[in-house]
Amino acid sequence: MPDLLPYLIGGLANGALYGLLALGFVLVYRATSVVNFAIGEFLLVGAYLTYTFALFLPLPLAILAALPLAFLFGLLVERGFVRPLLGRSVVAVIMATIGLAAALDGVVQLLWGPDLKYLSGSLPNLGFQAGGIFVSSRAVWNLLLALPLGLGLLFALRRSRYGILVRAISEREVAALALGIPTARILAGVWGISALLATLAGALLAAASGVGPNLVFLGLKVFPVAILGGLDSVGGALLAGLILGVLEALSQRYLEPLLPGFTEALPFVVVLLVLLVRPYGLLGERQIERA
Amino acid sequence: MILAVENLKVVYRGVILALDGVSLEVREGEAVALLGPNGAGKSSLVRAVAGLLSQFEGRVLDGHVRLFREDTTHLDPVRITGLGLTAVLEGRPIFRYLTPVENLVAAGHRLSPRELKEGMEEVFARFPRLYERRHEQAGYLSGGEQQMLLLGMALLTRPKVLVVDEPSLGLAPKLVEEVMRTLEALRREKNLSLLLVEQNARAALSIVDRVYVLERGRVVFEGDAKAAQEDQDVLEFYLGKEEVGFRQSKRYRRRKRWV
Repeated sequence: MPDLLPYLIGGLANGALYGLLALGFVLVYRATSVVNFAIGEFLLVGAYLTYTFALFLPLPLAILAALPLAFLFGLLVERGFVRPLLGRSVVAVIMATIGLAAALDGVVQLLWGPDLKYLSGSLPNLGFQAGGIFVSSRAVWNLLLALPLGLGLLFALRRSRYGILVRAISEREVAALALGIPTARILAGVWGISALLATLAGALLAAASGVGPNLVFLGLKVFPVAILGGLDSVGGALLAGLILGVLEALSQRYLEPLLPGFTEALPFVVVLLVLLVRPYGLLGERQIERA
Repeated sequence: MILAVENLKVVYRGVILALDGVSLEVREGEAVALLGPNGAGKSSLVRAVAGLLSQFEGRVLDGHVRLFREDTTHLDPVRITGLGLTAVLEGRPIFRYLTPVENLVAAGHRLSPRELKEGMEEVFARFPRLYERRHEQAGYLSGGEQQMLLLGMALLTRPKVLVVDEPSLGLAPKLVEEVMRTLEALRREKNLSLLLVEQNARAALSIVDRVYVLERGRVVFEGDAKAAQEDQDVLEFYLGKEEVGFRQSKRYRRRKRWV
């Protein structure tokens, strides 16, 4: 068993990233019912923005510089691709995000090239050794940023006035409009925050293992994570991210030798099993059945 | 003149004509009822006045809506509520997954934290039942409680003109009466102008000064509440006092005449 803990820690570190990204995805889904297939590209753009800033700034500052730009990027996407389709079927918006994903993949490769790049500079080393177990700096950073951010966001959504407005709009936009709530502005903000979260995940990923177009594939992980957590549950996204991260790590350790390649499929298998028992996901909300 | 609708024509999806040249007005401090059967265009008028038509794939084809002399025909709902008109839409559009407190917070989004707190206390003082259930999901409130919550929410938008669409729908007669009494009290205390859209003519007539009757997108009757109560047609079609015999036999044709 002594070799188990490092796997757990590595799993949690990965899971934190999944959670962060899924948070951005779920937030948008919850507020606007749009399934954002371009979330992986949000992460990609964020990672490359960080890379670019890191060329002439220390990495922590580069990340801080990338975040506002990412927020702006989210606003632009909302303005350019989502708002024009407002009032159309949700599928139209979803198709638009698929198109956006393909376009962004191309643009990113055009701008930054297809090769894997490593960031100049790194985050301050926060790794430590405790009782013979080494905790990597990467794990500390991931957890240190993802957990407070996720919980803070959850709290803000529950308690802050802005959060209440987001939830109100997500339930009944027409009713919100009738009360004079500026729904367009608030929803744009949600897209901005979503892009910001994806960028943070991208930056952490880039700091650990470099930037390349293949980062996009982390976007695929968002779907099992978000569905497992309950598509509209922000807390569920974070929790499911951590769970799947750990399960992946365990599978890597114990199942991979027996079933090569199974780890890739594992998240989807888990989702399938959980949904059989809990159709709304781990923390998804039940529909109120009352006129 | 607080609210004036002038020759308003509204279409949905470019072809379905819902309002065909409707004109009406609400004066300061006045309560006006808009009556009419299903599909007469009552809710379309509410949507048009509140700037919400685009949410229902509708638009104003012709005519104007004026609020305090300002042309609000094509303004967005955020600006319109900012000017002081709040519409309570039909079907009890509360936020069901939010608690009553959160519903009120959402409604009072323009208020400072202090004003919001005071406003909320006022609403709870008026509706003690809501206070008891303030932390439950609003979707589980009874119909009457939801209607009260809606009125409380509307109050927190600090309206000068309140437009209420079918508040009596699906409520027991006793509750209908309570809703009407509340509306009347609110109007007095807050010096509101009220446009009450109803199918329940009897309930509406008990609290309004003037009446418009809408049918198939047109105003077919206009007068003060007293006159409406004495008008044969209104009596017959909206108050259910049908005379037997000759008149009843010609009902079909009488309805036609208005169109």
